[in-house]
Amino acid sequence: MSITTLFDNYSEFRHRHPDGDVPHNPYKWAMAIDLDACSGCNACSVACYAENNLPVVGKEKFAHGQVMHWMRIERYWDHDGSEFPERGARYLPMLCQQCEAAPCETVCPVGATNHTPDGLNSQIYNRCIGSRYCSSNCPYKVRYFNWYDYPTTDNVWPAEMNMQLNPDVTVRGKGVMEKCTFCIQRIRGAESDAKTQGRLVRDDGELQTACQQACPTSAISFGNLVDPESRVHKQWRAQQVDLDKHEQVKDQAEGGTDLRGYRIYEWLAPYPSIMYLERVRESEI
Amino acid sequence: MKDIREDIAWAQINTDVLKSLENPRKLYWVILFIAIALVGVAVGCEIYQYNMGLGVGNFDNPHMWGLYIASFIFWIGMSHSGTLLSAILHLMHADWRKPIYRFAEAMTTFSLMTAGLFVAVHLGRIWQIYFALPYPNMRQVWPNFQSPLLWDAMAIFTYLSSSILFLYIGMIPDLAICRDNIHSGWRKRLYTVLSLGWEGTDRQWRNFRMTYLTIACFLIPLAVSVHSIVSGDFASSQQPGWHITSFPPYFVAGALYSGCAAIITLFIILRYVFKFEEYMTKSILKKVARLTFAIAMIWTYLVWIEYSMAWFGHNPHDKHLLIEKATGTYAPFWWMMNFCASVVPLTLAFKRFQTNIPVLLAVSLLLNLGMFLERWMIVAPTFADGYYPWTWDHNQWPSLVQWGIVLGSFGWFTMLFMIFCKVFPSVSMYEVKEMVYHRSLATKKLQATGELAAAGKGAH
Amino acid sequence: MMNSEFDRRDFLKVLGWGGTAVALTGCGNGMVESGKETVVSYVEATDYMIPSVSVYFNSTCAQCDAGCSITGRIREGRVLKLEGNPKSAINRGKTCGLGQAGVQNHYNPDRIRAPLLRTGNTGEAITWEKAYALIDEKLKGVSGNQVAFLTGGMSGHTKVLLGNYMDSLGSKNHFVYEAIGPAVVRAANMKSYGVEMPRFNIDKARVVLSFGADFLGAWVSPVNFSQQYAQFRKGADGHQRGVLVQVESKMTITGANADRWLVVRPGTEGILALGIINVLNKLGVKVSGDIAAAVKAYDKDRVSKDTGVSAEQINKLATLLTERTPSLVLAGTAAEGYAHGSQNAAAINLLNHVLGNVGKTVEAAEVVPFPQMAPVTGNTVALQTLNDGLAAGKYKVLFSYGPNPVFTAPGAMKFKDNMAKADFKVVFAQYLDETALQADLVLPLDSPLEDWGTQVPEYMAGGAQINIQQPLMEKLHAETRGMGDILLTLIKQRRAAEYKPFDDYYGYLRAAVLQNKAALGGAHQPDNDIFWNETLSKGIIKFDGAKQASFSVNAGATGLNLPEPAEIDAQYPFHLIPHVNANLRDGRNTNQPWLQESPDPLTTIVWDSWIEIHPKKAAELGIQEGDIVEVTGKNGSLKVQAYLFPGIHPDAVSIPLGRGHDAMGRYAKGYGVNPFQILDVVYDKQTGELALHETRVKISKTGERVIVVKDEGPVGGNQEGQKIVPEMFTDKVNLSKEI
Repeated sequence: MSITTLFDNYSEFRHRHPDGDVPHNPYKWAMAIDLDACSGCNACSVACYAENNLPVVGKEKFAHGQVMHWMRIERYWDHDGSEFPERGARYLPMLCQQCEAAPCETVCPVGATNHTPDGLNSQIYNRCIGSRYCSSNCPYKVRYFNWYDYPTTDNVWPAEMNMQLNPDVTVRGKGVMEKCTFCIQRIRGAESDAKTQGRLVRDDGELQTACQQACPTSAISFGNLVDPESRVHKQWRAQQVDLDKHEQVKDQAEGGTDLRGYRIYEWLAPYPSIMYLERVRESEI
Repeated sequence: MKDIREDIAWAQINTDVLKSLENPRKLYWVILFIAIALVGVAVGCEIYQYNMGLGVGNFDNPHMWGLYIASFIFWIGMSHSGTLLSAILHLMHADWRKPIYRFAEAMTTFSLMTAGLFVAVHLGRIWQIYFALPYPNMRQVWPNFQSPLLWDAMAIFTYLSSSILFLYIGMIPDLAICRDNIHSGWRKRLYTVLSLGWEGTDRQWRNFRMTYLTIACFLIPLAVSVHSIVSGDFASSQQPGWHITSFPPYFVAGALYSGCAAIITLFIILRYVFKFEEYMTKSILKKVARLTFAIAMIWTYLVWIEYSMAWFGHNPHDKHLLIEKATGTYAPFWWMMNFCASVVPLTLAFKRFQTNIPVLLAVSLLLNLGMFLERWMIVAPTFADGYYPWTWDHNQWPSLVQWGIVLGSFGWFTMLFMIFCKVFPSVSMYEVKEMVYHRSLATKKLQATGELAAAGKGAH
Repeated sequence: MMNSEFDRRDFLKVLGWGGTAVALTGCGNGMVESGKETVVSYVEATDYMIPSVSVYFNSTCAQCDAGCSITGRIREGRVLKLEGNPKSAINRGKTCGLGQAGVQNHYNPDRIRAPLLRTGNTGEAITWEKAYALIDEKLKGVSGNQVAFLTGGMSGHTKVLLGNYMDSLGSKNHFVYEAIGPAVVRAANMKSYGVEMPRFNIDKARVVLSFGADFLGAWVSPVNFSQQYAQFRKGADGHQRGVLVQVESKMTITGANADRWLVVRPGTEGILALGIINVLNKLGVKVSGDIAAAVKAYDKDRVSKDTGVSAEQINKLATLLTERTPSLVLAGTAAEGYAHGSQNAAAINLLNHVLGNVGKTVEAAEVVPFPQMAPVTGNTVALQTLNDGLAAGKYKVLFSYGPNPVFTAPGAMKFKDNMAKADFKVVFAQYLDETALQADLVLPLDSPLEDWGTQVPEYMAGGAQINIQQPLMEKLHAETRGMGDILLTLIKQRRAAEYKPFDDYYGYLRAAVLQNKAALGGAHQPDNDIFWNETLSKGIIKFDGAKQASFSVNAGATGLNLPEPAEIDAQYPFHLIPHVNANLRDGRNTNQPWLQESPDPLTTIVWDSWIEIHPKKAAELGIQEGDIVEVTGKNGSLKVQAYLFPGIHPDAVSIPLGRGHDAMGRYAKGYGVNPFQILDVVYDKQTGELALHETRVKISKTGERVIVVKDEGPVGGNQEGQKIVPEMFTDKVNLSKEI
């Protein structure tokens, strides 16, 4: 945060390749989630709890809507008036979309949420004063606030459960906003290891987010969008989804598109970094 | 009806106003005690909230804001009329403001102080509120100047300091009167210090006028900008129900509206308690009522424009939100708001109500209730029915902790105002003298030109 | 229950016990536990414990019986997170939410920390010496057939050791009980294929027709099946995307992912299967004479009337099955849970024969060449036999390890009362669950993350493998013991000389493995220590080219005799379907808070039970979401909140299993209701298994209402016209360019 941020255009797509004299940042972290493979099992969500020290809030606080799941699995029905959901349900894992023009970044009074050069939306816990403007502005409502001091709340991390806490991730106290970070602790670890070996992070499974690693159907791809060898890059290319557009060319075509890739609330132009692949249903049955 | 009699002796003015500074009756102490008790409740709630976390306020995802922000906007809104009266009407040479602007300005100052409290109370980590200040630090980190909340902080700070300055400067001649006429104890000492040695010389008066005018000019843009900035909290986000272009003027209109209504309320109370009938005349009350009516109609126009655009614009999110406001969880409050803020002020169009004290008292309270509800209806429904359907929450209400702090804020305001009224003159003595003088001049002129039609009738 | 008899002496010859007491090395990344050493301090950090550096150890997940291999991340001597081991053919590097919660089972604050002896209504902490001595004393004068040992499914060396112990007691009363195991399907598979659990190649199928088999949720080996499902959706062998059709009365998570979810009248799954065969026959698929005769009466109109599935759908399904081969037909929990469950399963298995899937998508699985280690699977007949024996006062000493029958047995069986009739009850458990609370002696167990063992999974996914379980950190509590160690100590009470060379279970295991080094892949490695370390390091012993189980295909329809669909009982009009949820299952993991807070995939409800009612039925009864309803059966009643759920047959209601504990710690106690308690005691006619779906209930409002605690918002699963989760049909989507 410097005085020059006063002149930045926060609605403008922020991650530029290249940006003036600055060459490509070698990394742009993005994700692709295949909704035809996602079975809605919630393994990713539990893995996220384990990896990122998420507190279990208990029944009463959950009833008040104060749950902390950074990754939530939403279940939708077809609303076509039929008596039974004969085409099943639709599952959507919803997490911070790491928007390139994030509505949350511009409104934090103290600059606790910013954009990193490698394309993540960062949340700086020790800068956050808890004004909650960022969450008010989030269209997906994927930001979660620490309404209580969970480290000191009974039965959240009693001994010996506190031994399970991941030392690579801050344990948040009360009054602080948090959200999915694309497992930034793993990203930084992998980047650092790669750097000491004089290379970039490869897309061979050495860096996986916790959700991606757990997912039994491998529905989640995560990686470096600007690495042409990465699976994520190939998927976005194949689906003809461009990061820096709020309306894709393929969607303008006559009759729509026959490709599955889309982003949610693309028209609001936050430029989310997660592409979803539409669920498919067999037409023969 | 005259705004003021032209034959009031200046000494009489002094006596009447200084009488209000005498030792108060028992009822005063009772009400003050209640106000302080409410403040105590608020402090207790805040301590509880500070220790436990904001969850005790019943906030959740998505209801990130609640009564605190609504009250914050309400209190800032209420502060605008003081400035309107003291500064804007001063520039327009509206003499009728003279007897009432003092307490209005005091109301401004104390409203801002109360609003400032809410900024602190609503934060998750109050102890780090100083992060919002651009103070030199090792990490060379500035606050985020693009954030409307930060503009809020800067605006309020500016506005508060300017208002305090304006209030104080404007009081100097009066403090001198107090110093000269009250001879005992701590008051004498207080007024002596505060009046800065005012003698009332020509030179001092000239400087005074210039200073007063300068600060008034400085304050006027603030009156418009502060609430526009506060509206920016909402207008510059992209949430449905908030991302509305007309929000800045809408907020400013609402602010002036609730401020004027509060002026009516306090006018009636002070007039009765201190027996200021000669100064806070019904004629002035009528003018204030008409002003309130005008602002109410402007506000009504702006709010109906907002509804129309939501409805006819066919943006599904905005339209859905409007329907939810009228039929959803908070519908009773929406209807009550529309009634109180758009229908009730219609009574002010009728001459017979414009000077009817009981009606005006009831109406002004209802208008402010309407405006308080309006603030709530801006904050809560957008959270309840934002963009994302999975996270809608139709069942969230503030907890007693929030209510405790909000009621405490009313107690805090009342406490400050009551103390003010007993320590400082709530009618501007020197300005009333000016007003009487002008009136007598005008009457003499009329007499001289022989156009005096009937006694007691004087245009201004 | 073991498939092959063996002679104890032969076994001992095979495993051997030669060798001296084993000294454990601390170098290499083979193991964590140093056995006799105390917790290592930072001052004496060994080279695998560097602060801030993670080390990874392989082990086996024990949260369910699938036997997925896990890799634990350990820092500063404590296990933080479990990942899947990519080398396992079963889970291939993936874990499910239940597996992730294994750390919460390990670190749970409500674990028992010392042996507890009952004195009146409290448990007094005693020493292990005293506990063992007490067991020894209580067994004196008790003959073998007066001792009963109740366990869940077991395999590997612990099973062997237990077998030896039972032998030493002269007892044949080892009861293996699984509350929700696919026992009927196992028996049906045995008849149809000659093996209890064949291998299902979902990834090779082009159509999967599942009759209530929740293979993406809680059925058999869900992580493996999920992996295969992902391949299946991409298309087998360059073919187009696979099609999933799910047939059941209450939607499971697999049903939620189906291309077509067909709701059937409860119990009529078998009728539908025969109806499909009937149509297949008409479409030209060759069937044998006896099958043709058996299905002749099941024409699609009759079947449609019986099941509620439209004739058009049956036609479409049959056509699809003929066009896209191979297919795979699965018989699951929903089909088998009836008094005619075996018949249902047989009819469904017949479809695989008719469609020619046997040998393609239904194959024999490889077997581990150590039959004594093969898993013994559980069923409910064992529970009944034990219960009858207890009721008759037959058993003086009862041991229980694993299941929680006081919680999972239907109330009508009065298991709790019968259990009290045994003179001395020993329960081996990690928590004071309902069964442990009835014990005279509770012996606290190590968690699976701090214990040794071997496991042979029932469902063998890829090649045959033995899973190794090793501690991922030092024991958390000084006075817990691994079951292997306990059994070893107990068997030493009777056969001291034979087991003297083994100081502990670790030593026993190590010796056993080393004795068979050659057969376990160590032929090339002369150094025993290195071989042992490598084995532990890998965490899996694979057998290449293991002999396939004998796969005998019985494609006949003899004995197939499906009953008519059940009439609706006027007094108890609803079928109660107790639902097996992937995380909570039979309630053994309910005290893991991540699982309690993980929303149910179908209803998104947390921390509580609910009853699913179809919205139309609910409207008839005037029930709204959150109404507390009383669910009354012949054997009891429950009060539970109502949830309107479209994915259920209107004549059925469903309550999830696993909640309703009144013991087992702070995270389990007092949340929800336990439908096990009110189940009608009806048995499958052929196998004698408890028919879990045969309970009939009536519903009545109590007048109370609560707000349902769930993750979805007030509009539930409605996108409100927004493009949040669109879907495409296969005739419109272009999948050719996908990665």
